Amino acid sequence: MKCGSMDWDAAVTWTANGTDIDDSHLNGSYLILKKVDLTQSGQYSCYEGSSWHLKYQTYLRVGVPPKEPVLMCRSNNYPKGFYCSWHLPSPTYIPNSFNISVIHGTREMVCEKDIFPKNRCHIRYLQLFSTVKYKVTLTVTNALGKNSTTLTFDEFAIVKPDPPESVVAKPVPNNPRRLEVSWQNPSSWPDPESFPLKFFLRYRPLILDQWQHVELSDGTSHTITDAYAGKEYIIQVAAKDNDIGTWSDWSVAVHATPWTEEPKQLTTEVQITETTSTSTSSFMPPPTTKICDKGAGVGSGAVAVCWTAGLVLAAYGVLFI
Amino acid sequence: MAAADTPSATLRHHDLCSRGIRLARKMRSDVTDLLDIYVERQGLDASISVAAVDGVPAAAAECWAEQTGTQRLLDNLAAYRAFRTLLAQMLEEQREQLGDADAELGPALAAVLLQVSAFAYHLEELLELESRGAPAEEGSEPPALPRLSLFEQKLRGLGVLRELAQWAVRSVRDLRQLAKHGPGSGTALGLPESQ
Repeated sequence: MKCGSMDWDAAVTWTANGTDIDDSHLNGSYLILKKVDLTQSGQYSCYEGSSWHLKYQTYLRVGVPPKEPVLMCRSNNYPKGFYCSWHLPSPTYIPNSFNISVIHGTREMVCEKDIFPKNRCHIRYLQLFSTVKYKVTLTVTNALGKNSTTLTFDEFAIVKPDPPESVVAKPVPNNPRRLEVSWQNPSSWPDPESFPLKFFLRYRPLILDQWQHVELSDGTSHTITDAYAGKEYIIQVAAKDNDIGTWSDWSVAVHATPWTEEPKQLTTEVQITETTSTSTSSFMPPPTTKICDKGAGVGSGAVAVCWTAGLVLAAYGVLFI
Repeated sequence: MAAADTPSATLRHHDLCSRGIRLARKMRSDVTDLLDIYVERQGLDASISVAAVDGVPAAAAECWAEQTGTQRLLDNLAAYRAFRTLLAQMLEEQREQLGDADAELGPALAAVLLQVSAFAYHLEELLELESRGAPAEEGSEPPALPRLSLFEQKLRGLGVLRELAQWAVRSVRDLRQLAKHGPGSGTALGLPESQ
């Protein structure tokens, strides 16, 4: 680096980020940096020797030319269009600019850049069912060089819906081996009536590694009928266009446990047993016993034990003693 | 279109659309398998690009979503009638080239030709139900193709099968649109009646 307009033989001092640079890096008043690495980025200043007047200042950015960018294109909203997104496999440490071109046959198509994220743009289909491939070229350029990559693909090959949404799994009352699962089409899929999706459901109990799979050609619900009683399950769903493209990623996992019968209240039995052993003449109903009301129903898990049931339990208690 | 509006016509329409979708799906699956056999038997590279060939109906459609039901049926019928002729030509060429030595490609081609013919007939039935009637075939024959070299024949065959595979997918979508909108949904634009 030249110290502004200073002569070669002028006495100068160079600093990097405020720290003096050793004279061994100087050739006259020129600063010579060899084997520059990323740590040498910063503000470089040159001062006149005696007066310490600032004669030159610059910000050095050490970077690298761009490596081949990673480009991906996908249609999650078929038949409206598709998007392409990209990133660099490693940073360049200096600003980069990206340019994307999309060619379909002889036609150049517009890829409208998203505001966020910045590394994505989307294309509207002008034709459907074309056998002509799409060719997408991404070029990345910075002050030290450029690099590019090209993707060529068919219209159908990049179709991949987003995962199903709002997956819900519920136990089925009085069915210890069933779970009811429901979900919705991904909201990004614009016309599920004309372009229906099919679904793949997978489920397993948490205690096992092996998944069960079910493919469903229509509908957005399914009842699992072979669940292990009392075991917590993990369930996921994926989607695919009925005719083209690939499966979506798996949905967010949901957990559910099949319905189990409420365990009988053992406290009633124990108390009756103790009462029977100590008393020979009187029978005390257990504190948890309630008088049966004909109009009462079973609600929110509450159980009413009738007088009759209490007597039966008392009899069993005697037997066990 | 009184005939298209009766309950029985609606049921028949729905039935024809459903069966047509199943036919088109099966056809697509078989054409995909046939493509693999064809590429292998003809010594071609599966990724080779083939330029559009005269006489091969392109499945590509602009403004596909705006088409009327009748237009969909007419486009489909014209395409499959053309494919019927093209596949028959391919079968003839294949027999000349490979003769009895080929036990795989010929039968596969013949099977797809049969499905194409059946599908064309199915489309004619749908058009009848739309009370439009199928157009006569005389005007839909592809022009006589110039004599091609062996390699050009192979490339054209590849183009035919690829386009047919696309058409099979398009037909599923077209029939689904037709089923969605019901019979008699394509006459609003004043399309000419068939003879």
